[in-house]
Amino acid sequence: MRPRNKDSIKCTGMFDPERWVEEHGDCLYRYALIRVRKPEVAEDLVQETLCAAVKNYGSFGGKSSERTWLCGILKNKICDHFRKLGRETCFTDMEFLEDELSHKFVPQGFWNHDLGPLEWKPEADVVMHRSEFWDTFRNCLAKLPQRVADVFMLREMDEMETAQICDTLKVSPNNLWVMLHRARMALRECLEVNWFKEQSSEGSV
Amino acid sequence: MSGEFNPSPEGNPSFLARRNPFQTALVKFIAEHTPKCREVVRILSQSMDSKLPLSMRVKLRLHYLICTWCQRYEKHLRELRKFAASVPDHTDAFSEDTLSPTAKDRMKEVLREARRE
Repeated sequence: MRPRNKDSIKCTGMFDPERWVEEHGDCLYRYALIRVRKPEVAEDLVQETLCAAVKNYGSFGGKSSERTWLCGILKNKICDHFRKLGRETCFTDMEFLEDELSHKFVPQGFWNHDLGPLEWKPEADVVMHRSEFWDTFRNCLAKLPQRVADVFMLREMDEMETAQICDTLKVSPNNLWVMLHRARMALRECLEVNWFKEQSSEGSV
Repeated sequence: MSGEFNPSPEGNPSFLARRNPFQTALVKFIAEHTPKCREVVRILSQSMDSKLPLSMRVKLRLHYLICTWCQRYEKHLRELRKFAASVPDHTDAFSEDTLSPTAKDRMKEVLREARRE
């Protein structure tokens, strides 16, 4: 492999933090906003992210894209934010979807076959390219109580290990299992009703 | 037992349905010896976060033979993960919120400071 001189990258003007604000600022801001829901907090997180990026630019080897790298830093900042918040799980978080959609099951515990999960079409990879899908996804996420959504997103968006989530959010392992299960159940249901069912009925017309 | 629930009614799209006495016995056996669907969905959520014991993984495979719904549920949980993980690549579609020009200017100012340090 050809040797690569890090300094030459800087000299050619690639290190330009002000350009990051224009090119990646909105993307980072939107991501932060999904997570913390407060514009002023999201702005602060973006700013902290970019400052940290300036200080640690030496560690950016160019292996990933600039945006992926910045997103990674933002994810850490989001985790720090939740850690600082450190609220205890309150009762209402555990009340969410307490019946776990029991009406969809017969008393013996099997699915009521008319209400069981449908086959999702089109495939996930196709769906992800439709901007309307993300509207639905956002709306479904917004229906979760904040705490339950936080837990779900730390696990599935930030890919944090469960032990670390328990530690960060001060949640007991058992409560975390329950919240994750209910969040997944609710989101699956919401996407099925509001997206996949609609799609299949449009397709059959 | 009268009024016994039939986990494999006519038209059941699962791999194993009650088509003859042998299959009927097999379906009943699997239904009795694997967790019920309500429990399976809890277990499936756990399987997204930690590896299940081999015996449970085998039970799930057997359960899928008579229950296409739980099998779909598992697939959907994996797709849900895929969706959530790719949100950072689709923030443009996710919302139209933008940083205000003043916020951007302030950030540039802060970054200039940070660079000088």
